[in-house]
Amino acid sequence: MSEPARAQLAALAALAGLPALGPRRFLALVHHRSPLDAWALASAGDAAALARALGGDRDLDTLARSWRSAADGVDPLAVLAAHEAADVAVLAHPSVLAEPPSPPDGPRYPERLVDDPEPPAVLFARGGPVPAGPSVAIVGTRRCTGTGAGMARELGRELAAAGVHVISGLALGIDGAAHRGALDARSGHPDAASPIGVVGSGPDVAYPTRHRDLWEAVAAEGTLLSEAPLGARPAGWRFPCRNRLIAALADVVVVVESHAAGGSLHTVHEAIRRDVDVMAVPGSVRSPAAAGTNQLLAEGCPPVRDAGDVLVALGLVRGRRRRPVEHRPLPGPDAAAVLDALGWEPATFEHLAVRCGLGLAELAVALEELVAGGWVSQHGGWYEQRATA
Amino acid sequence: MLGLVPSATLLGADGHAVTVEVHVTDGGLPSFSIVGLPDTSCREVRDRARAAIESSRLTWPVKRVTVNLAPPTVRKVGSGLDLAVAVALLVASGQLPAEAVAGKAFIGELGLDGRVRPVPGTVCLTEVLGDAALVLPVESTDEARLVGDRVLHPVHSLAEVVACARGEEPWPTAGSAGPLPEPPPLPDLADVRGQPMARYALEVAAAGGHHLLMLGPPGAGKTMLASRLPSLLPPLGPAEAIETTRIHSAGGFGLPPGGLVRVPPFRAPHHGASSVALVGGGTSLMRPGEISAATNGVLFLDELAEFSPHVLDALRQPLEEGVVRVARAAATVTFPARFLLVAAMNPCPCGHGGQPGGCRCTEGARLRYQRRLSGPLLDRFDLRVEVQRPRPDDLFGSEPGEASAVVAERVRQARELARARGVRSNAELPAGRLDDLAPLDDAATRLLLGALRSGRLSARGLHRVRRVVRTVADLAGHPGALGADHVALALSLRVDLAGATPHPESVAG
Repeated sequence: MSEPARAQLAALAALAGLPALGPRRFLALVHHRSPLDAWALASAGDAAALARALGGDRDLDTLARSWRSAADGVDPLAVLAAHEAADVAVLAHPSVLAEPPSPPDGPRYPERLVDDPEPPAVLFARGGPVPAGPSVAIVGTRRCTGTGAGMARELGRELAAAGVHVISGLALGIDGAAHRGALDARSGHPDAASPIGVVGSGPDVAYPTRHRDLWEAVAAEGTLLSEAPLGARPAGWRFPCRNRLIAALADVVVVVESHAAGGSLHTVHEAIRRDVDVMAVPGSVRSPAAAGTNQLLAEGCPPVRDAGDVLVALGLVRGRRRRPVEHRPLPGPDAAAVLDALGWEPATFEHLAVRCGLGLAELAVALEELVAGGWVSQHGGWYEQRATA
Repeated sequence: MLGLVPSATLLGADGHAVTVEVHVTDGGLPSFSIVGLPDTSCREVRDRARAAIESSRLTWPVKRVTVNLAPPTVRKVGSGLDLAVAVALLVASGQLPAEAVAGKAFIGELGLDGRVRPVPGTVCLTEVLGDAALVLPVESTDEARLVGDRVLHPVHSLAEVVACARGEEPWPTAGSAGPLPEPPPLPDLADVRGQPMARYALEVAAAGGHHLLMLGPPGAGKTMLASRLPSLLPPLGPAEAIETTRIHSAGGFGLPPGGLVRVPPFRAPHHGASSVALVGGGTSLMRPGEISAATNGVLFLDELAEFSPHVLDALRQPLEEGVVRVARAAATVTFPARFLLVAAMNPCPCGHGGQPGGCRCTEGARLRYQRRLSGPLLDRFDLRVEVQRPRPDDLFGSEPGEASAVVAERVRQARELARARGVRSNAELPAGRLDDLAPLDDAATRLLLGALRSGRLSARGLHRVRRVVRTVADLAGHPGALGADHVALALSLRVDLAGATPHPESVAG
């Protein structure tokens, strides 16, 4: 890469670290202006000049001050060097930086984002290049039920095994479960499709910290993308931007569980804006965690019963295949009665004791049998059915 | 002239014998000095005693008065020595004959009008007075009667004491103790409709002495359930009754009519409690705290996560040792603190948590809420149950559940089995003897091994669960080897805090 191109790329990387610099402002800054000039403008702290560049008539004094203090002492070339040292590729949108900044076989700016209505000016990537094959985003609430998490994991596993790249946000709940599933598939078959993680903080800042292992696994097995440079803390405004990237990268967005007005509905909105198909997993009408997805279904979203439905929507298979029969020991008579009483909503031990009229000890034995046999999962004193008899 | 009168002072929940010595001399200017490590309230005796003596138409000597509280190494706290000081002063000033008060000890606070008022800790004070006859406030008679057979002279006022000492009236004596009045009925378990698991958890807690944590949303009846626990516990034995009565007397927690605490106490301090209020102490008073007041009974901590973490961690040592040692610069005292801990908390700040997908809190908020409880404290709860609101059908029209008396009988039998094993309750079974006393059959072993392998149970939790299994089997009338049904039930009485552990579907593997 030529030295001038390197300096321009470095300026982009430095710009990405500024606070409250969303995609629209970023594009406005580098519109008809080289990244180096944009960096000079952003770090100068001149509110009037910024207002001219960004358009609009808002008073930008606070923004100018915060950018100037954030840019103070930042050397763009050092920022770029830090990324190179950490093996994080800095990918610039072709319209922002004309000269291809990296060799053709290295990581490249994702094709799908080039013509996006709101593309990121610069992306930071860990792991391999963004693959070109079919891809599905699996998104949903962080406050999910066991059924939802189990469904996300199953979809992730089966789609990855069928060669579909699973995209998700690596958040708690549905997101994480989907990628765990995709990684399950990879550990069994190395030719399963690689996962793509899109995150809202710097690619080295695992958030939530509980998912550090998942971040590392996704970066090792697939690709980890972010609009934020190394070290960027998770900030509230970055997550909606992250959701738009998830929608933009996917062929189909599958919502597994979403509360009414949940954050995943934002991803849905971005997908509709980009003409990306949205599908939803039906949930119990009494489950608050499924209120959002059931609303999507009521509005005409195609339902997802299993990975087959998604594969049909992608045009990868013609008709739905029968699901292979799962082999698990059949429950005994007591256990079958308990399974029946449990139904498909979470219940506590006490709920079940009242419903099925068994003695506490018999009920406890029946539940142990169901948990051991994989029929029922137990978490925090709540039991949920996982499979039908 | 010299006056010597025995009395006693309170430190923590222990009485210490004190001899009040008063010396009155004509030499020098009139003065009053008090020595022998009195605290402020004790030092104020001068003003109370002077007013009481003058109100009783006696004379305050216009002389040099020295009061010594022997032994001078023990700190004297409070107003219990007032009466003794006044009497000794009257003897020293020649207004009472010395032989009239010989062999008598005096306890009581003086009012300015000369009346004699009760003081906290009468039980503990009486214990240390040897075989002296005790002159004490009428209100304290019941308490003093609880320890020993000494002669008691209950009095109303200083004037009465003086009249008796001068032989103008006979000393009043306390009549023999009548039968203790029946304690008022305790809240009964029959009031609880539905909620079979929560009821059972109470039964196991009462039978085995296992600490209980109830998780559930507001309005699920956690407080109602906990307050039923004393009615399931066996009534206090004579030694236990005295132990608890001493603490209640010394701490001023209030005593029932008759003076003796016979039903297991139920203490429910508010979550704003300071660590001193909970474990005891204070600068000079060394008052027992709520955990000692709950000795031989129930300590109920509602809204456990709202207690300051520092206060909760102060509970760990007493929970382990059954006593609490409070050390201050002035003294170190030991209080009994052997109680059944019952705690209740919401699973998360919004209170609706627990139900998967039903909570409005973020995962982080829920974790932070639950992390306020330290792991070691959480480990002490052998029983952790999810308590949900009873359904409307259960509240109306359904049969009332078993009454406390029925459950208490099973509890009594289980406790008897524990006593035969040499412990008060199964929670105290030594780990080394579990293989003997709580052997597992094959199916039970497999189930526990499975729970260990899946990480649901830690190695440390294993012993604790085995004790609970023993109690479950005892209650079911199975004194022999423990079966899989007992293990399964004990495991379902031990839920994890949701959120403290990641959801099984979302972890690797």
